[in-house]
Amino acid sequence: MIEIRDLHKRFGDLVVLDGISLSIPPGETTAIIGPSGTGKSVLLKHIVGLLQPDSGHVFCFGQDMTTATERELYAVRRRFGMLFQDGALFDSMTVGKNVGFPLVHHSKLGAAELRARVEDKLALVGLPGTWDRPISQLSGGQRKRVGLARAIVMEPEVILFDEPNSGLDPLTSDQIDELIIEMKRALGITFVIISHDIVGTVKVADHIAMLYEGSLVAWDRTAAFVRSPVPIVRAFLQRNLVLPDAPGEPAQLPAPPLP
Amino acid sequence: MTASWLPSPLRSFLHQVGSYAWFVVDFARATARYGPPPGQVMEEAWRIGIKSLPILLVISAFVGTNIALQGYNAFRPLGGGRLVGMFVSLAGVRELAPIIAAAMVAAKAGTEMASQIGVMRIREQIDALEVMAVNPYAFLVAPRLFGITLVLPALTLISIFMMLASGYLVSVHQLGLNGSVFLEFATQGIAAVDFLYGMLKAVYFGLVICTVSCFFGFTCARGPEGVGEATNRAVVVSAVVCVCSNYFISEILYGRLP
Repeated sequence: MIEIRDLHKRFGDLVVLDGISLSIPPGETTAIIGPSGTGKSVLLKHIVGLLQPDSGHVFCFGQDMTTATERELYAVRRRFGMLFQDGALFDSMTVGKNVGFPLVHHSKLGAAELRARVEDKLALVGLPGTWDRPISQLSGGQRKRVGLARAIVMEPEVILFDEPNSGLDPLTSDQIDELIIEMKRALGITFVIISHDIVGTVKVADHIAMLYEGSLVAWDRTAAFVRSPVPIVRAFLQRNLVLPDAPGEPAQLPAPPLP
Repeated sequence: MTASWLPSPLRSFLHQVGSYAWFVVDFARATARYGPPPGQVMEEAWRIGIKSLPILLVISAFVGTNIALQGYNAFRPLGGGRLVGMFVSLAGVRELAPIIAAAMVAAKAGTEMASQIGVMRIREQIDALEVMAVNPYAFLVAPRLFGITLVLPALTLISIFMMLASGYLVSVHQLGLNGSVFLEFATQGIAAVDFLYGMLKAVYFGLVICTVSCFFGFTCARGPEGVGEATNRAVVVSAVVCVCSNYFISEILYGRLP
């Protein structure tokens, strides 16, 4: 469904992605983790064609996103939903209009049907009856929920989450993790999650991949990943988790180079 | 490939000009393909007009008073005090009203465009539009562009009226000129084609202000400083381009007149 082949990207002298190859299994939740500044969000933007690589390919539903025309890109993107870090909600619109935005542009639903679909998705993310609420009145967690409702309103086949826990307190962060698990259960579609919150990631992901200094250093099912002997993976996990069967002394995570 | 032998500021300037040209091409393509969202053009026109109108009325009124005053002081020693009406109408219709209306719209609406789009850029709302398969040029720039090109000619007409009205009031009530003589010379000085040229200038200035302001919004750097800088550049570059190109437009339209 999503296939990344030997992806390279640099910004000026800074190498951000250095030959990433990864296959995202359909119908499962894949988390891509790693320290800040290791290219996770850049990788996500390549998946939806927001960035073009220096070399390499990204295939989504068989379409090469690196060579697609605008029309082809838009056709693929309609099969995606994406939750941005801060929700990326339009401040000038109410909650209902934000969630209904993709439907207005890509469906022929009448006003009543559109509202019903939006109310349904808002209820699914735990915000029923908030159609008229201005975006400015939402908390951080509520913004994420509205962003998620917008991401699922077109009933996509893949949902991408860019740091769904960033900027949230631990309790709200847990609620978002639970919501993602519920969504996964309810929708049964492919989730790709970018995160550096390892606790939440282990809870929600079926597979975990770790990026470090632009390279993919580990990729496995979650249960196997947390037992990974790779020193960088262990060092990263160790800050947040009680590791099972930690082999030897804790590894040191070298600091990534400053941009 | 970078032309490293060029001085850095010149290289940066050329890079900006090239990026702006690509922006305009991309925008034109997107608008031709998708068009602006229905209903938003009139909304934008109304918003730009309402925001710019109060300050435009005040500025135009006081520009009119000063043209009358300076015209009177210049022509009276030569025995041509009656020419004040002609001076006000010529300067107002042909030059000052289009450029002043453009400056006010750049200051009010252009800065708003740059800052709104800049904030959308840094909050990933433009990326969100792309991911939702909604072309951001067609959605954000096209309605603003059509709105501004509709409303700026109207604002220019209002500015002309205010300049003539205030010039008339100063000429008659302060300088003691005859009102009907002022009006006679004012109408003699201009023709219908001058209004047409004024409107053409207004449309051109609208295109410049909108594309420049939206360009700086779209290319805004991360963070609040980026938005501030984009807003600042939008108004400065719009004003400089409008004022400089105004000379060449006037040269083409009026430079060869007898």
